[in-house]
Amino acid sequence: MVQSPVNNEHHLLAALAAGDRTATEQIYQQHFKIVNGWLIKNGGTSADAADVFQEAMVVLFGKAENEDFRLTCSIGTYLFAVSKRLWYKKLQRQSRDPVSLKYDTEGEEDEYGVAHEEDINVHHEREVHYEQLNTALDQIGEPCRSLLKAFYHNDKSMQEIAADFGYTNPENAKTQKYKCLTRLRKLFYGVQAK
Amino acid sequence: MSINNNMIEVAESYLSGSLPEADLKELNSRLASDVSFANEFHECVNLVRSLEGNGKQKRFRAMLRDVHEKQNAVPVKKTRLINFTPQSWRTAAVAASVAILTSTITIWSLKPSIKKTDSQYSTISREVEHIKRVQAGQQAEQNKLRDIISKNTKAAPPSDVRYTGTGFALTNDGYFVTAYHVIGSDFDSVYIQTHDGQYYKAFLLNYSKENDIAILKVEKKNFHFGKGELPYTFASSKVGLGAHIFTLGYPKEDLVYSEGYISSKNGYQGNEQQYTLQLPAGHGQSGSPVVDENGDILGLLTAISSQAEANTYAVSSKAMISLLHTSTANDISSHLPKVNRLGKLSGAEQVEKMEAYTFSVKVYKK
Repeated sequence: MVQSPVNNEHHLLAALAAGDRTATEQIYQQHFKIVNGWLIKNGGTSADAADVFQEAMVVLFGKAENEDFRLTCSIGTYLFAVSKRLWYKKLQRQSRDPVSLKYDTEGEEDEYGVAHEEDINVHHEREVHYEQLNTALDQIGEPCRSLLKAFYHNDKSMQEIAADFGYTNPENAKTQKYKCLTRLRKLFYGVQAK
Repeated sequence: MSINNNMIEVAESYLSGSLPEADLKELNSRLASDVSFANEFHECVNLVRSLEGNGKQKRFRAMLRDVHEKQNAVPVKKTRLINFTPQSWRTAAVAASVAILTSTITIWSLKPSIKKTDSQYSTISREVEHIKRVQAGQQAEQNKLRDIISKNTKAAPPSDVRYTGTGFALTNDGYFVTAYHVIGSDFDSVYIQTHDGQYYKAFLLNYSKENDIAILKVEKKNFHFGKGELPYTFASSKVGLGAHIFTLGYPKEDLVYSEGYISSKNGYQGNEQQYTLQLPAGHGQSGSPVVDENGDILGLLTAISSQAEANTYAVSSKAMISLLHTSTANDISSHLPKVNRLGKLSGAEQVEKMEAYTFSVKVYKK
């Protein structure tokens, strides 16, 4: 996609949204350290930092996928702010005593704080939605469960799936896929009168 | 175009932008005029979009983990969670099969005084070799572990597992006991895996090699095995012949219950610190509690006889308690539970109450 290292944040985000590895690596390399350092100062471990930072990356990924998305601050600022919020939330969930955790009130965060809160909420709603979808997928039964997972989660082509699942040709596999999707729809949205 | 029959297919093409213009026109007019159709169609669009989004996100997360690992090649050891990849089970099994060749003879021995008749006396910790044998049955467990891995990729994998046995709580705040031979003298680290699958690191406090008892404590601060005090108490003197007993242990990944009775007041070769039990027991059950009908702990399992079927030896709780008294740094014996809450319960209820206080002990070699 992009030959030289992506140096423009806008391009970097577009590449991120497309799931480009180089872009992801670059963002990770540039911004993980600062989140890691901050988290360790605030009662976390490096492992927590990895969790939180990756979650923030997924929030950013979810936003960047939206075509008319424009970041109102730099990628670094955004990831740092979202990571902070995620970590405070995590601490609050773990602790029975949220009062003892004071939100830090550095000005730079407050400016965008509300927007980030909204992003995180949207992210959580989406996670719940995906969770439900996965539950439905797990209940659907074979071969549908494996077939749909192969196609959607593992990004396999219909050719590969036909070979893996023993269908004579991709067309047959495709027919089966649509049958499965119909079944999944019923399971997921509840049976709806036609 | 028959949109009704293959609505999902149409929704898919619509999302990917590959719907022919004529079809798109027809679709749009239908969407504008038929509300119930529009609702159904949007449902299909949402479903396909969610599936695709979820898949993309999953792949993105996997990539993130990979990037993280590559960029942070020396991961910081996190909590007490141990991650096993299926590969490491295999490696462990291979290592164990080498180890078992060299150690077959020593496994049989417990202490020097019984060397002559070693072959009749077999301690029942479980070598990793056994894990290999029941590996097929543990596929589910492995999948579970794999899930843990995918959620916690950063904790460094431990060295290979050497022995597994069973342990049970002495106090609710982390002191516990198991058979000494489960731990051995050259272990690297000891973890317990509680009935809910959690791993906790433990350290050795005191032991008696002669009586095959080891006392350990869970490292984690403010750790508790269960919600309340221990439900059982410890018998301070030995109990007579014929008492009905049961035990809970981890010969496999799931807790196993077995019952029997005291068949002889003394243990192997008249050992007064032991009982002889008529009780089926297998490898991995070393250190399991021996409980009587009143909910008193009578001892812990140490070995089986290879001569007489289901002849099992247990170290008496009396020997355990006297070891506790000699533990200088912490006088655990005064903290032992004093109220028995099992006595009036039925067998199944007793087992249920004990579950949280009985766990698998995993010993990792250097």
